[in-house]
Amino acid sequence: MKLLRPLRHALLACLLLLATMAHAEKVMIAAAADLKFAMDEIVVAFRKINPTDEVEVIYGSSGKFHTQIQQGAPYDLFFSADIALARKLVKAGLAASEVKPYAVGRIVLWSASLDASQMTLASLADAKITRIAIANPKHAPYGQRAEEALRASGLWEKVEPKLVYGENIAHTAQFVQTGNAQVGIIALALAVNAELASKGGYGLIPAGLHQPLEQGFVITKHAEGRALARRFADYMGSKPARSVMTRYGFVLPGEVSH
Amino acid sequence: MLTDADLQALWLTVRLAGAVTLTLLLIGTPIAWWLARTKRWWKGPIGAVVALPLVLPPSVLGFYGLLVMGPNGPVGQLTQALGLGPLPFTFGGLVIASVFYSMPFMVQPLQTAFEAIGERPLEVAATLRASPLDAFFTVAVPLAAPGFLTASILTFAHTVGEFGVVLMIGGNLPGVTRVASVQIYDHVEALEVAQAHRLAAVLLIFSFVVLLALYAGRPGGKKGV
Amino acid sequence: MPGGLAARKAFEMADIAARFRLDWPGFSLDVDLGLPGRGVTALFGHSGSGKTTLLRCVAGLERAQEGQLTVAGEVWQDAGRWVPTHKRPIGYVFQEASLFAHLSVLGNLRYGLKRNRDALSRPLDQAIELLGIGHLLDRKPDRLSGGERQRVAMARALAVGPRLLLMDEPLAALDLPRRREILPYLERLHRELALPVLYVTHAPDEVARLADHLVVLEAGRVVAAGPLAETLTRVDGPIRVGEEAGAILEGRVMARDARWHLAQIGIEGGDGAALWTRDEGLPVGAAVRLRVLARDVSLTTQPAPSSIQNVLPGEVEAFGEDEHPALQRVRLRVGRCRLLARLTRKAVADLHLAPGQPIWLQIKSAALVD
Repeated sequence: MKLLRPLRHALLACLLLLATMAHAEKVMIAAAADLKFAMDEIVVAFRKINPTDEVEVIYGSSGKFHTQIQQGAPYDLFFSADIALARKLVKAGLAASEVKPYAVGRIVLWSASLDASQMTLASLADAKITRIAIANPKHAPYGQRAEEALRASGLWEKVEPKLVYGENIAHTAQFVQTGNAQVGIIALALAVNAELASKGGYGLIPAGLHQPLEQGFVITKHAEGRALARRFADYMGSKPARSVMTRYGFVLPGEVSH
Repeated sequence: MLTDADLQALWLTVRLAGAVTLTLLLIGTPIAWWLARTKRWWKGPIGAVVALPLVLPPSVLGFYGLLVMGPNGPVGQLTQALGLGPLPFTFGGLVIASVFYSMPFMVQPLQTAFEAIGERPLEVAATLRASPLDAFFTVAVPLAAPGFLTASILTFAHTVGEFGVVLMIGGNLPGVTRVASVQIYDHVEALEVAQAHRLAAVLLIFSFVVLLALYAGRPGGKKGV
Repeated sequence: MPGGLAARKAFEMADIAARFRLDWPGFSLDVDLGLPGRGVTALFGHSGSGKTTLLRCVAGLERAQEGQLTVAGEVWQDAGRWVPTHKRPIGYVFQEASLFAHLSVLGNLRYGLKRNRDALSRPLDQAIELLGIGHLLDRKPDRLSGGERQRVAMARALAVGPRLLLMDEPLAALDLPRRREILPYLERLHRELALPVLYVTHAPDEVARLADHLVVLEAGRVVAAGPLAETLTRVDGPIRVGEEAGAILEGRVMARDARWHLAQIGIEGGDGAALWTRDEGLPVGAAVRLRVLARDVSLTTQPAPSSIQNVLPGEVEAFGEDEHPALQRVRLRVGRCRLLARLTRKAVADLHLAPGQPIWLQIKSAALVD
C-alpha cells in the first residue's frame, strides 16, 4: 500500500539511529582539579581512536566528588588527588574496580611576578612576600602536603599569618595568577601547563618534606558493566596516556618526568 | 556544641551583613531616589546595571572582583596608590564586593517605595517652604519607611547567605573572611558532617529569628490621604 | 481682551503680572495677565482650559518655556531668573487635601510654620480659629472626613503666612453638604484676611459667591479678564459663567418686612436702588450678593403696575450677540452697576433702544447667591 512505503523508510531510519546510539556511549569522569590540562589532552587523544564515544570530564575537589559519589552522583570514573578517598569508595562497596594509582603528585612554588625557580620554601619568610596562597589543608590534599612541608622546614609559624586559602588547587592557582598572592604552593601538574608556565617558572619542593601524594582512580559502581568505562580505564594505562601524564608531572614510581 | 571557630565564623557573618546593610543604606538610598524620580533616558540602562548582580553567578562576580581588586586591576592599583593595600582577603574587600552583590536588594524595594509616594507630597512640601533636601528627609523618608525596612531586611538576609563571592575573593582567613557559609562548606568538604549540621542549624535558626522579628515589627501599611 | 499698548500698560501696573507660554503634546498655554493684589481672583474654565496649569505656573510647580511673573514688585520668573517654589511666599491648597499621612493635624500645620522664619505663631492660631479645626489637632489625616481634611489643608496653607494664596478647586472633590459646610469659611477668609487669592474653579456658584475679579480661560487662552460684575456683563463674546448669563450685584440688607416675608437689599453703587427679595433670614446690615439673570430682566419705557415689583431706573449701555439670531443681549447701567437683559431683536427695534437711552428695568427675580 502506498502509505506504508514512507513509513517503512522512517522505521528503518529509526532502527539505524538506535543502532548507532547503542554503540555511541557516554561516560562521565570526576577528576581532581590538578588533572585539568593533562586529562583534557588524554580525552582528545582517546576520542581520536573512538570517535563515536562521548567523554565528559568534570574537575573539582576530590573531597567533594567523594561525598557526591557516596550520595549517588552519576560519575563513572573517579580520579582522586588523594588515593585514600578512592580506597574509601572501594571499602564502601561503591567501586566496580580496584584502585589504580596514576601518579604521585608533587608540590611546587609558583609566582606570576617573581622567578619561583630560584626560590625555596625559606624564601617565603621574606618580608617582601606578604601573601602566600595554598589550598585549604582542611580538605584539599595539596594543601595538607603544603602545610606538612612548611612545618617540616620549621617555617610554619613565620609563614602562617601570610597564608590565604583556596577552595581547591585551581582556585589557589587563580590567586597567584591574578597577582593577589605573590607566591603560591600549587600542584606541579598545574605549573607545567603552558598557560601558567609562560608566566613564570616553578620551584620544586623536596618530596621528603611531606607525605607522598599518592593519586589513584576507580571505576564507580554506577559504571558497572559499561564497556566504555572499562575501555577508558584501560587506555589510562597505555603508553600514549602515560606519556601525557608524565609530561605534566604525574609520575609513577619508576617513571621519569620530562 | 559549637566550636570557637564556628562561633567566630558566625560573628563574622553578622558583622559583614551589618556593615553591608549600613553601607548600602548610605549608597543605595540616593541611587534609588534618583531612579524613582528621574525622567532621563538613562534611567533604564542604570536600573539594569543595578539589577545585574541578580542574574550573574556569584562565583563569576567573585572572580571578576578578584581581577579588578587585585594588584593588576584598576581598583587594586587605586587602593595601592592610596596606601590601602589590595582589597582581596580583607574584611573591607568583602564588604565592598558584597555591596555590589547585594545592591539590587536595597535599591529595588527603596525605588518602589519612593515611586509609590508620587509627586504630590513633595509639591506640598515645597509650597510649605521645604527645600528639596529638607522635603526628602522630612516627607519622603517617613513615607517610605516600610520600604526602608524591607530593603534592609532583604539586604541583611542576602548577605548572610552569601557564599560564592566570599569564597572567590575571601581567601578563607579565620576571623577575617571565613564567614559561616564558608565554614559550613569546609566542614562538608572535610567530611565533618556532624559539625556541618550543627553550624547550619544554628545559622538557619538565627536567620529565621532575625527575619521573623523584623517582619513582625513592620507597621501595617496604611497609606496617605 | 484689549491688545497692544493697553495690555502692556495693564501688565506693568498690575500687582501680579503673569505671562506664560507653555507647549505640551496636546495642550498649550498662552496667557498674558495683570491681576489685582487684593481680593479673590477666580480663574474659571472647563477642564482642560488650563486654569490649573496657570496656577501651578504661578506657584512654580510647572516651569513654562517662556514665562514672566512679577508679584508685588518682586520678580519670581523671567528670562534670567527662576525663584523655586519653596522660596516663593505662597500658600497652596490642592484639590485633594494632600495632607501628610505620617503627621497629625497639628504636625501638618506646624510643618510650614517651622520653615518660615518670618512667621509668628499668630498665623497658625488665626488659621485654626478661622477654620474651626481646634478640636482636630491630635488626629491623623486618615481619621478626618473629606470636609475636615480640606479645612486642615487650608489652615496649613495659611499657617505659613503667605503673601499670596493659591487654591486649586478646593471644593471640587467634596459632595454638596461638605461644600455647603466650607463655603462660609471661605467667605470668612475672604472677608477677614487682607490676602490676595487666586481661586481656580469650574463652579459658577463659587465664582458668584467669592470672586472679586474674574479670569475666564478656554483651551489655554484668556477669553475675558476684569472685575467680576464688569466681566459677567460683557456683551461681546460668549462669556458665560454657568448655564445662564447674568449679573452679580453686591448689596446690604437694609430692611425686613415681617408681614410679606420680604427683604430689601440696597445695591452698592446703585445710587440708592434697592431690590426686594424673599427674606432668607439674614439680619439687617448683612452683606450679600445678588444674582440677576439676563432672562429675568425686561425693559419698559413706561413703568406700569404689574406683578413685577422690582422696577429700577437705568440706562442702556451696549448691545451684543446672543446665541440665537432672534435674540439680542443688552447691557444696562443702574448707577455704577451693570446688568444684562436678553430680549428679542424685534423688541429692541420696537422700543427704539439705543445706547445712552434712559429706560426702566423690570427685574422679575433676584436671587441671593447661596
